[in-house]
Amino acid sequence: MLIQAEHLQKTYHMGAVKVEALKDASFQIAAGEFVAIIGPSGSGKSTLMHILGCLDRPTAGRYLLDGHDMSRASDNQLAEIRNKKIGFVFQQFNLLPKATILQNVCLPLIYAGLRGRRKQQQLARQALEMVGLGERLHHRPNEISGGQKQRVAIARALINNPALLLADEPTGNLDTKTGQEIMKTFHRLNQEGHTIILVTHDPEIAAQARRIIQIRDGLIQRDEVIA
Amino acid sequence: MILEILRMALDSLTTSKMRSFLSMLGIIIGVAAVIAIVSVGSGAQSQVTSQISALGSNIINIGPGITRGRSGRLSFTATDVFTMELAEQILRNCPSLARITPNVQTSGILIAGDINYQTTTVGVTPAYQEIVEYYPVRGQFINAEHEANATNVMVLGAKLAEELFPGQDPLGQRVKLFARNRKLLFVVIGVMEEKGTGAIGNLDNQAFIPASVLLKKINNRKYVSGYTAQARSSETAKTAVAEVEYFLTRYLLDTDKFNISSQEQILATISEVTATLSLMLGGIAGISLLVGGIGIMNIMLVSVTERTREIGIRKALGAKRKHIMAQFMIESLAMSGFGGLIGIIFGWLGALAVAKVGGWPLVVTHTSVLVAFSFSLLVGLFFGLYPAQKAAKLDPVIALSYE
Ligand SMILES: Nc1ncnc2c1ncn2[C@@H]1O[C@H](COP(=O)(O)OP(=O)(O)O)[C@@H](O)[C@H]1O
Ligand SMILES: [Mg+2]
Repeated sequence: MLIQAEHLQKTYHMGAVKVEALKDASFQIAAGEFVAIIGPSGSGKSTLMHILGCLDRPTAGRYLLDGHDMSRASDNQLAEIRNKKIGFVFQQFNLLPKATILQNVCLPLIYAGLRGRRKQQQLARQALEMVGLGERLHHRPNEISGGQKQRVAIARALINNPALLLADEPTGNLDTKTGQEIMKTFHRLNQEGHTIILVTHDPEIAAQARRIIQIRDGLIQRDEVIA
Repeated sequence: MILEILRMALDSLTTSKMRSFLSMLGIIIGVAAVIAIVSVGSGAQSQVTSQISALGSNIINIGPGITRGRSGRLSFTATDVFTMELAEQILRNCPSLARITPNVQTSGILIAGDINYQTTTVGVTPAYQEIVEYYPVRGQFINAEHEANATNVMVLGAKLAEELFPGQDPLGQRVKLFARNRKLLFVVIGVMEEKGTGAIGNLDNQAFIPASVLLKKINNRKYVSGYTAQARSSETAKTAVAEVEYFLTRYLLDTDKFNISSQEQILATISEVTATLSLMLGGIAGISLLVGGIGIMNIMLVSVTERTREIGIRKALGAKRKHIMAQFMIESLAMSGFGGLIGIIFGWLGALAVAKVGGWPLVVTHTSVLVAFSFSLLVGLFFGLYPAQKAAKLDPVIALSYE
């Protein structure tokens, strides 16, 4: 099993107020799956994704990635896992505005300790071609369209060959047509063997996955495989 | 990896050049001040030192003691102590001394033909030349015979010779000296080399006559104001001072009647004073470096806040604390280091300007440059630490959601 979530719980303290963003979430995801996590705004989707993406640790429960317990890992260990095993795609693209497309895609390679600018750029070009971007590589993010930005983000997420691709509302800032193109890209990547977890509040987007985990008020309501 | 991070850091500095420059200003001013102050200090010191060294080497001055006068005022006493005979006795009793010459002079008017010239006339013995390291270029100096017989001969300073005998050969010419209401006729037997202005005034426009002539025929008293002695070597200079002190104490039975100061002591005092002064001013400059460091810390904190989201993105992509830390440390080090370099250039220019005005050689030591530069790096390191740490410690989730 790639992912084993056991009674994940996340509580935020805001002064005296306790917010239980995640109350009890348990599920397993195998390598090669394409899962949509769906739920209304504020239901705890992003919180769950942060834990699955090793950006955060659960308050209680266990999270095993590839059989390793991430719930007790150190900050440095989590950083290394994020770098090697996880690729993020965000709603706001989260590209560095002052870096070129190519430099943005190279970033995970730098933190992986890969030497040689030429080698980095060669890998980055390959990743960009995989998502259908072959030009404008020396432009900055504000010089390309939203759809292109999201492709750059996907290329960046893929560059270290991660075990898991995590996308939080990846189509949220795109028009329907562009969103569909991005979804096609995810489909193709899934067919090529990538494990994808997609967070969305949009049932239409979720329906394109092969399994839907529905979450509400920090609890899993439904977990079913569709056709 | 380090190279990549270095490039990223420099990229971020060059994108906001004006801001980076303003943040560096404190460091620039601090380093420039340190370099300039230390340079001006050592330049001035080397000038004073060379002037004093120009008086000769291993010189020991013997003069009247300084004691409290009746009503509490400082007064020089014991002027009726030093005679020519005592000079000989001192020399005989102090084996570490090579030679001794009396200090005696008068101001008066020299007349050659229809040219008058008001100047100082110095009474000398033959030893004067070796002690002051000052020799005639033409003719001869006062010799032992002139001194013993009180012969009316005169040696002219280089400039004085030109003044009194423009375009003529001064040797063998006659010069009249009016001093203390007396009038004396001298024969010029020598012209001295050019020495320039030094710590004891301009020798070039002075006249030199046998000390015996000045004492017997002009001053009409047997006392001189003191002596200038010379130790055999720099190693024996200290011993010589002790010997003179011992001898004079026993001879005069009163330590208040004389005062001995060696050139070595004077030089030591001067370098001590200038070192203290340089250190003090350098310290003040150091404070401005510190202020510069606070400026850098301030801008780095602003930068960390502005780039919270960037930090979140980098962390999501796998940057560890050390990577973020390094990125911001390199930024602040680059700022302080570059500021330091600019400061060195400005400091050097400032020192050059002051040296030109002060008329001494430009002394910018490697040490002062190295110390100022390392100090600016240290400031960057120290004041960059807190912002960098703040950046490195950011929680990735919170940083990512920062607007
Ligand atoms: N850092 C935080 N501090 C306090 N409360 C938080 C924090 N992050 C999220 N929450 C709260 O936890 C709940 C779940 O948030 P989130 O996981 O972002 O939901 P979703 O992504 O489904 O919209 C919300 O009520 C939100 O206000
Ligand atoms: Mg969300």
